Amino acid sequence: MKIKAALLSATAFLGLTALSAPAMAQSEVKIGLIQPLSGPWARSGEMSKRGAEMAVDDINAAGGIKACGGAKVKLVVVDGGDSPEKMKNAAQRLVSQDSDVVGGIGANVSSFTLAVTEVTERAGVPWMTLSFSPVVTDRGFKHVFQTSMTGDKQAEATVPTVLKMAEAAGAKPKTFGIVMDNTASPVAFTKDMRVPGAMDKYGLKLVVDETFTPPLADAGPVMQRVRAARPDFIFLLPTVVSDIKLSLEKATEIGLTRGRMQMIESGGPPGSPDLLKIAGKEQLEGLMFVTANWPTKNTLDLANRFTKLTGEPWMPQDSISNYGHVMIFKEAMEQAGACTKEKVSETLHKIDLKDGAAKLFPGGRVRFDEKGRRIDADIVVVQWRDGVPLLVYPAEVAALPAKWAKP
Amino acid sequence: MIFVEQALQTLVAGLSVGCIYGLLCVGLALIFGIMRVINFAQGDLMMVGMYVAIFVASFVLPPAVFGVATPFIAALLVVPVMFIFGYLLSWVLISRTAGLKAASLTEGDAHQAQLILSLGLALILQNGAHILLGSSPAAMISPLSSSAWEVPLLIDDFSAIFFNKARTVNAVICVVISVVLFWFIQKTRIGKSLRAAASNSEAAIYMGINVSKAHNIAFALGTAIAGIAGGLLVIYYPVQPHVGVDFVIIMYAGVVLGGMGSIVGAFWGGMTIGLVQQLSTLFVPIQLQNTAIFVVFLFVLLIKPEGFFGRTVERA
Repeated sequence: MKIKAALLSATAFLGLTALSAPAMAQSEVKIGLIQPLSGPWARSGEMSKRGAEMAVDDINAAGGIKACGGAKVKLVVVDGGDSPEKMKNAAQRLVSQDSDVVGGIGANVSSFTLAVTEVTERAGVPWMTLSFSPVVTDRGFKHVFQTSMTGDKQAEATVPTVLKMAEAAGAKPKTFGIVMDNTASPVAFTKDMRVPGAMDKYGLKLVVDETFTPPLADAGPVMQRVRAARPDFIFLLPTVVSDIKLSLEKATEIGLTRGRMQMIESGGPPGSPDLLKIAGKEQLEGLMFVTANWPTKNTLDLANRFTKLTGEPWMPQDSISNYGHVMIFKEAMEQAGACTKEKVSETLHKIDLKDGAAKLFPGGRVRFDEKGRRIDADIVVVQWRDGVPLLVYPAEVAALPAKWAKP
Repeated sequence: MIFVEQALQTLVAGLSVGCIYGLLCVGLALIFGIMRVINFAQGDLMMVGMYVAIFVASFVLPPAVFGVATPFIAALLVVPVMFIFGYLLSWVLISRTAGLKAASLTEGDAHQAQLILSLGLALILQNGAHILLGSSPAAMISPLSSSAWEVPLLIDDFSAIFFNKARTVNAVICVVISVVLFWFIQKTRIGKSLRAAASNSEAAIYMGINVSKAHNIAFALGTAIAGIAGGLLVIYYPVQPHVGVDFVIIMYAGVVLGGMGSIVGAFWGGMTIGLVQQLSTLFVPIQLQNTAIFVVFLFVLLIKPEGFFGRTVERA
C-alpha cells in the first residue's frame, strides 16, 4: 500500500510539474531539421541546413521568441541519409530523443518527406516542407504544411507563364518540344502537355517528344531530332546533372545555342552551383528553369548576406525556403503566445502572414488551406545570365527582365 | 532525308561511344586474360583515372601553354600514375588471391576470394572518393566538347553530320592505344612473358619467367588503361564517386561478347555495344537503348556462346 501511495504521489507531482512547465520561462525552443546530409542528395541537404541555420541565428540575435520569454531557438539537425527507410529512422530518432520539438522541417526529395511525415504526424509535430509532390498533403494529415506549389499545379501554371514571357519579349511560339528522362518528376510535369488537344488553347503544337533512360552516353541522337523538328522552344527536363551537361553541349555543337532556341528546365538541379562548375557559364547562358522559390529583388539583402556567410555563389531554392520555414515557425509561436507543438500546429492552420516571412515566398502571403497547402503559392522562373541564375518572373519582383531566344 | 541524316549521325555517335567502351573492355580483358581475375573494381579504377586527369589538368598543366590539348595530355599523364597504383594494388592485395600465392587454394576458393576482394576494393574506392572528394560532380570544361566538325550532306542546304571534336579525338586515341597494346602483348619480350604466364604459369616458371611480376604488370596495365579511358571520358562526361557502376556492366557485357580474355574481341565487344546502344534509337524508343544492348547480347551468346573471338584467341 505504501509503495502504491508513493507512486501515486510521485505521479501527481510529475503531472503538476509538467502542467506548470509552459508557464515557466523557456530558455530554448527546439525546431527539428531532417535533411539528406550524406549520400547523393547531401549537397542539397547542406544548402537547406545552411538556410535554416541562418534564420535561427537571425532570430536569436534579435532576442529569440518574445512570446516565450525570449527563448532562444535551437535547430536539432538529423541526417536522414539517402533512402526513405533511413529517413523514417531519422524521424523516429528525432521524435523520441527530442520529443519537445515545436516543429520540424524537411526532408528534401518528396519520397523522403512522405516517409518522414508518416512518423512526425503520429507524434503530432507540425512539419513544414518545400517538397513538390501533391501526395505529401493528400493523405489527410493534420500537421503537414507545404509551402511550394505542388508539382501538378506547377506544370499547369508553367505553359501560360512561359507564353506570357515570350510575348513580353516579342515572340509568339507556335511549336514546342519535350526532351526528358523517364524519372517521376518530368513524367508528372509533362503528363498533361501530351494529352491530345490540351495545348490547342495556347495555339501550341508538340513537334518533338523524346524520353530517355538516364544516364545518357551521348545526347546526339536526342538533340539531332530536336534540330530536325526545329520547335520554337523546348522543355529540356533531364534530372541527372551529367545529362543536362551532355544535352546542352550537344545542342550548342549542332547550332541550337541558347540564343537561338529557348530551353526551359524545371526543379532544383538546374539552379545548382554544381551545374555551373561542370557545364560552364557559356553553356548555361539564357537557360530558364521553373521552380518553387528563388530570391527576388526584395530579398537581395538576405541573399547577399547568405553568400557572404557561406561562401556559396548564390542562395538557392533550398536555402531561402528553409530560411522562410524557420521564420514561419517563429511567427506562429509569437501569434500563439506559446511554444508547444500543439499550439504551433493550431496557429499554422489559421495564420495569415502578409509581411516578414511572407515576402520570402512567391505569392507574398502565407496561409494554408485545410490540406496544409499554401494558398498563394506560385511558380517562379529563373534564367541563367552571365553565370548567375536570376529571377525573371514574376516581373514585379524580378531581378531583371527575361530574355527570350530568337531563332 | 531526315532519316538518312539521323542514321549517319547516330552511326557517328555509336562509333565514338564504341571506341571508349572498347578501350574500357580491353583493360578488363587484359586482367582477366592473363590473371583470370574478375575485377569488379574496374569501373572504379576508371573513376580514379577521371579524378586524376582533372587534378593534372587543373594543377599540373598550365592551360596557357597547352591550350585545347590540355585535357588529352592530362589523360596521357594518367597512365604512369595509374600503372603504379595498379602495380601496388596487385602486389599488396590481388596477388594474395590470384596467381602463385593462391596456388594452394582450389580453383573455386581462389575465384571466390578474388571476387570478394575486387568487390571490396570497388566499395573502398567509391566510398573513399566520397569521403575525400564529396558527392558533387566534377568535370573538365573543354571548348572541344561542345564544338564539332560539320560535314554537309549535299542533299539539301540544311542536312549535315557533326563530328564532335573531343569525342572524335578521343576515338582516335582509343584505337591507337588498343593497337599499341595489342602489338606490345604480341611482339615485345614483356608481352610474350605475360602471354606465357597466362597460358601455363608452371611452365613459364621453368622457362625463367617471373610469373608474379608478370601478373602485377598485367594488372597495372589494365588499371592504366581504365585510367586513361577515364581521363578521356572526363573531357565531356562529369565524374562523381559512383560513376563506375554505370560503366562496369557495359564493360562486362563487352568482354563476354568479344570472348572472355581476348583483347581484340574485347575491343570489338565494346564497339558492338556502343553501336547497338546508339543505332537502336533509330528503331525503338530512346529509353529502351540500354535494353537493346542486352537483347543483342543475349542473341549473340545464343548463337555463339563463346563470344566473337572466344575460340580463335583463347587467351591474351
